[in-house]
Amino acid sequence: MKFDVIIIGGGLAGMTAATALQEAGLKCAVIAEGLSLHNASRREFSTAGGTLLTGDRVTEGQFEDNRLLSVRTEKLEDVLLEADSFILATGKFFSKGIVADMDKVYEPLFGLDVEYEEDRSKWFDPSFTAPQKFLEFGVRTKDGCALKDGKPIVNLFPAGEILSGISSAQSDATEQIKKSAQDAVTAIRRK
Amino acid sequence: MQETNISAKNFEQCQKCSLCETVCPVMANNPKYGGPKRSGPDGERYRLKNGIFFDDSLKYCLNCKRCEVACPSGVKIADLIQQARIDFGRQSPKLRDVMLASTDQMGPLASSFAPLVNFSLGLGAVKGIMDFTLGVDRRRTLPKYASETFVHWFKKNAAGAQDAFKKQISYFHGCYANYNYPQLGKDFVAVMNAFGIGVQLINNERCCGVAKIANGMIPAATRDARINVDAFAKEVKEGREIVTVSTTCTMTLLEEYPELLKVDNSVVREHIHLVEKFLYKGIVSGELKPVWKEGWKARAAYHCPCHQERLGWGIFTTELLRMIPGMELTELESNCCGIAGTYGFKKENFKVSQLIGRPLFDNIAEVKPEFVVCECETCKWQIEMSTGVPVKNPVSILAEALDLKKTASANL
Repeated sequence: MKFDVIIIGGGLAGMTAATALQEAGLKCAVIAEGLSLHNASRREFSTAGGTLLTGDRVTEGQFEDNRLLSVRTEKLEDVLLEADSFILATGKFFSKGIVADMDKVYEPLFGLDVEYEEDRSKWFDPSFTAPQKFLEFGVRTKDGCALKDGKPIVNLFPAGEILSGISSAQSDATEQIKKSAQDAVTAIRRK
Repeated sequence: MQETNISAKNFEQCQKCSLCETVCPVMANNPKYGGPKRSGPDGERYRLKNGIFFDDSLKYCLNCKRCEVACPSGVKIADLIQQARIDFGRQSPKLRDVMLASTDQMGPLASSFAPLVNFSLGLGAVKGIMDFTLGVDRRRTLPKYASETFVHWFKKNAAGAQDAFKKQISYFHGCYANYNYPQLGKDFVAVMNAFGIGVQLINNERCCGVAKIANGMIPAATRDARINVDAFAKEVKEGREIVTVSTTCTMTLLEEYPELLKVDNSVVREHIHLVEKFLYKGIVSGELKPVWKEGWKARAAYHCPCHQERLGWGIFTTELLRMIPGMELTELESNCCGIAGTYGFKKENFKVSQLIGRPLFDNIAEVKPEFVVCECETCKWQIEMSTGVPVKNPVSILAEALDLKKTASANL
C-alpha cells in the first residue's frame, strides 16, 4: 500500500504534521499505537481524507541506501506500507519512542542515533525540582533528517518529543512540539 | 510490549492512563458497569488473589475490544474480562441465552419453518410473549430466517461447477450466511467464480462459537472450535486456503480460540483470510483482474465494525471499495453500533444498546448515504432497524459493481 507520507505516532506532533500535509494535498497515513490522539485532531485528519491505522504498531522498516522505503506493521503483516517520506513521532520514554536501559539510551524501532549523556550518573539530578537531563535525550537530526550510524536517512523526519532537546517538562513544550511538526512538514513539502 | 513482561494478557503493563475508559461505549451509557480498566487489569490483581473478588458487572462488557485498540501499552483488556467471566462467572446461562447463542442449533430448526417463524417473530403478540417469558426485548426487530439455507442452495445450484476452476479456496460461510442471509453466500460465490476461483464448502464446518463464548457456554464453544480447527487443517492439506466473510467469526477463529478457549490454531492460523484482505492483495498483486461495470454509481458510508477495528483490517475494505470507479465513499466516525451480537437482543440491554448506537445513527443521518457498507451481520440488523438505511456487505457491493462476465473472461 502506497502513500506520499506515513506518520508513525498519533500524538500532538504526529497529528499536527499529518493534518497539515493531508490538507496540503498529500496522501497521508497515520499509524497510532493505541488511541493516543484526541478526537478533534482525529476528525480533522479523517475529514481531510487521511488514513488512520489505529491500534497498530510498526515492527520494522525496510531501508535502501540512505532511504526508508516501507514499514511493516503488526496487523497488516505481509502488506508493507510504502511512502516517499516518513515522520517519526513516537514520543519519548512514556510512549517508548526512546528507551533507557541501565547503560544506554536508544531508539527501539529503527535504531536511530540518539543524543545522550554517556555517564549515567549525570542522567538525572536527585533534586526533584531541578531540570532533569534525561528528559532532553532524544534522536539526533541533520537538516531535519534522522541519523543512523552517523549517516542521514534523507526521507525520515523525526518530530515532537522524540527529538533531542525537546521535553514535555519545558514550559513551552506544546509550542516546541508543534514547531517541530511544522518543520517536518516544511521539509517534506520542499522536496 | 516489554520482553520482561510475564503476566497473562499483558496486564501488568497497564499504566492506569484511562484511555480505555474514554472509548468504552458501555461505560458512557451504563453506570452499573465499572469500565474496562477496573473490570480488566485492576480487577485482575484482586481476582488473582481470590476468585470471590469477581464482580457480576463484568457481564455488561460487550467485548467490542475498543479498549484493546485504544490501549497504548498492549494490554488485552477485553480478553482479561472475558477470561474472568469464563473462570469465575457464577451464573449459568439462561434458556434465552442458550437459544440466542446456539445459532447453529436454532438455525436449522428455524429455517425448516422459515415462513412460519418469520411471520410469528414479527407479530406483536409473539414478541410480547418472548419479551415476558424469555427476556428478548419486544422493541427489537428479530432477524429473518431463510427458507433455503446457503449450503442447500450451494449443493443444488453451484457445487457442480466449482471443480472446473484451477484455483480453489474453502469458504467458511458462518451461521449468518447459511441461515439468515444466503444471498451473501451467493454473492461470495459469484465474485470468487468471476475471479476464476472455485469455492468449496468446509466439510463439517461448525459455528465459530462467538455467541457461545459471550453467553458462558464454554464447553460447547471449545468443542466446536476443536472441530473447526481439525476441519480447516484438512482443507489446508488439500491445498485450499480458508476464506471468511464475517469479521467477528474471523476474529474468533484467529484470536479467541487460542486466547480464551485455549484451542491451538497455529497450524491453520496463517491460512485463514478475511475476504476483503484476500481480494485486495490479489488485485494489487495483479493476480486477480477486476472489470467494473460501466456507469455503476453509489454514494455509500463505511461503518467499521468493532471487531474489524480490532483486527486492524478496515483499510482493506476501504481501499478495495475505492477501486470501484463509481464509488463515492465516506468513512463514518469510529463508533460501536451497540448490538454486540446477542447483547442487544436481551431485554435488560436494549436501552443501553440503543444509547450506545446513537452517535453512529446520528452520523449516518448527517451523511445521508444511499446505503451503509459494513462487514458485520449484527451491525446490519442494528443499523437497519435503528436508521432505516440499508446496509450492504462489501462482497455484495462487489457482486453488483463488477461486470461478472467480463471479469470472468479476464481471469481465465
